[in-house]
Amino acid sequence: MDPDAIYLSLKLAAWTLVLLLPFGIWAARYLLNAGLLKPFIEAALALPLVLPPTVLGYYLLVGLGGKSIFGIPLVFSFTGILIASLIVNLPFAIQPIQRAFEAINPEIREAAQVSGLSSWQIFRLIELPLAWRGITSAAILTFAHTLGEFGVILMVGGAIPGETKTVSIAIYDKVQSFDTAGAGTLSLILLGTSLVAIAISYGLFGRNPSPSKGWRS
Amino acid sequence: MLKIKLSQTIPNPLQLNLECIPGELHALVGPSGSGKTTALRTIAGLNNASFGKIECDGEIWFEANEINGTTTALSPAQRSCGFLFQQYALFPHLSALENVCIPLYNSVARISERQAQAQQWLNRMGIGELANRMPNQLSGGQQQRVALARALARTPKILLLDEPFSAVDSPTRQGLYKTLAELRKDLNIPILLVTHDLREADLLADRITVIDQGFGLQSAPPQILFKRPRNSRVAELVGISNMFEGVFTAGNLTWNGCNRVFDVVDKGKIPSNTPVAWVIPADGISLHAIPSTTTIEAEVEYISTLGQIAVIQLRTTVGNHIVTWEASAAEVKRLALDAGKKSYIEIDGAKIHIMPLRPINDPRRFTE
Repeated sequence: MDPDAIYLSLKLAAWTLVLLLPFGIWAARYLLNAGLLKPFIEAALALPLVLPPTVLGYYLLVGLGGKSIFGIPLVFSFTGILIASLIVNLPFAIQPIQRAFEAINPEIREAAQVSGLSSWQIFRLIELPLAWRGITSAAILTFAHTLGEFGVILMVGGAIPGETKTVSIAIYDKVQSFDTAGAGTLSLILLGTSLVAIAISYGLFGRNPSPSKGWRS
Repeated sequence: MLKIKLSQTIPNPLQLNLECIPGELHALVGPSGSGKTTALRTIAGLNNASFGKIECDGEIWFEANEINGTTTALSPAQRSCGFLFQQYALFPHLSALENVCIPLYNSVARISERQAQAQQWLNRMGIGELANRMPNQLSGGQQQRVALARALARTPKILLLDEPFSAVDSPTRQGLYKTLAELRKDLNIPILLVTHDLREADLLADRITVIDQGFGLQSAPPQILFKRPRNSRVAELVGISNMFEGVFTAGNLTWNGCNRVFDVVDKGKIPSNTPVAWVIPADGISLHAIPSTTTIEAEVEYISTLGQIAVIQLRTTVGNHIVTWEASAAEVKRLALDAGKKSYIEIDGAKIHIMPLRPINDPRRFTE
């Protein structure tokens, strides 16, 4: 067991979730009416899914190293791997929410418009409750994927204990040093977490629509 | 009072002028894709026309012209209109009561008062006991009533109904007709109904506007529209049977291919020697068992009897024109009508309505 690595992974996943989910909801909603730019934005947001982690990691290393775009070097630090995690998880945070918004019948929005609701009220009272499954699924996938992220984190953060050495990096380290028992325990933890997360995500989308009681008149 | 004048050529053509007074039910009828729903959505602000003006109760909702561009375009939320969608568009995550509460969300009333108002609307629609049901627990007719309650909850200045009866079965439709008829009396606001069902428009509407390819062809009370369509395209769209072609010459109408001349009344709008379309209403046709100098020989092609009403289709011996006639079953028996037998048609020239011949591809059908 490596409690530091587990704590760091959980901290990274929690921060990624807290920062990325609101952005994911905004971006997914924005993409509904993005017009001609939509395919390009979608392609850019989906890039982390298809790019090799080393390629993404290289660019982040260059972008966050030296003085970086933020004026200070961010590589080999928790902030650095958090930024990397935010970028890598963009498709996981946005796509399920985008699908959920797209699944709302446009007539529902129009009915809300002619009922006198403002755009913000429509978003809050109608769209958000109807997209709750997509949002929950995005949260679970983002959290689980952050826990398991390896390549980019290694490139940007290395393996500094307590700072950048997450569970997946710790597994790699343990295998390198022939600690197969330790690697096995940590792997089992990640396997279980991922399985439960994906099962919940599939469960949410597999069930028949049922009302979300998030709002009362 | 609702005054509408809309004009655009792209993305879809729309040329529509109409007025609807409070308490009037005005039906927009036309074939699929004719622009009826586009017109309704434009009035609600869900679409905007290129040019025109929409004025309701003295308030301008939309105004745009070629010189100044769009000067006014209120959002759908700012226009006080109730809109009933064809597929109801109920909010699936909210109960019936919560659906009806939504239009009251911005009112100054407290939540309990809003809920009481919404409950009253549901009671008025006869579904008060279903207030806590979710939309997926309601039948089509019940969902329709919730949608109607929601459309009316904000006490709108106009009510727009987009094919509201097309998705419900016949008995439910009859119930909804009754509800609408009752509401009309109480609401006293202009009501616009989009439908492709002429029988429904005839039954419910005080006035009908026929729309074809975005153009309002004719606006008239049903009894005028069905008896005196403006041109042959309108007659075709409103499904008038017994429409024929002929030539109008100085008060006389010659029936094409039939060598028959009628004395007809015209307002002087149609020039002499003009090919025309003409219609004869059911009460202008009579059948006889024996011929006379004023009758036209025809053969009974078939008789379709539904209860006490029979529809008889005849084909004239000269000209091969098909004439449809409705009569009681007793009349059919009295005239001894039967398929294959000869009968003699008499047409009352005074009841003939002649109109310009305007086939579907004739651009003058929109203006003359």
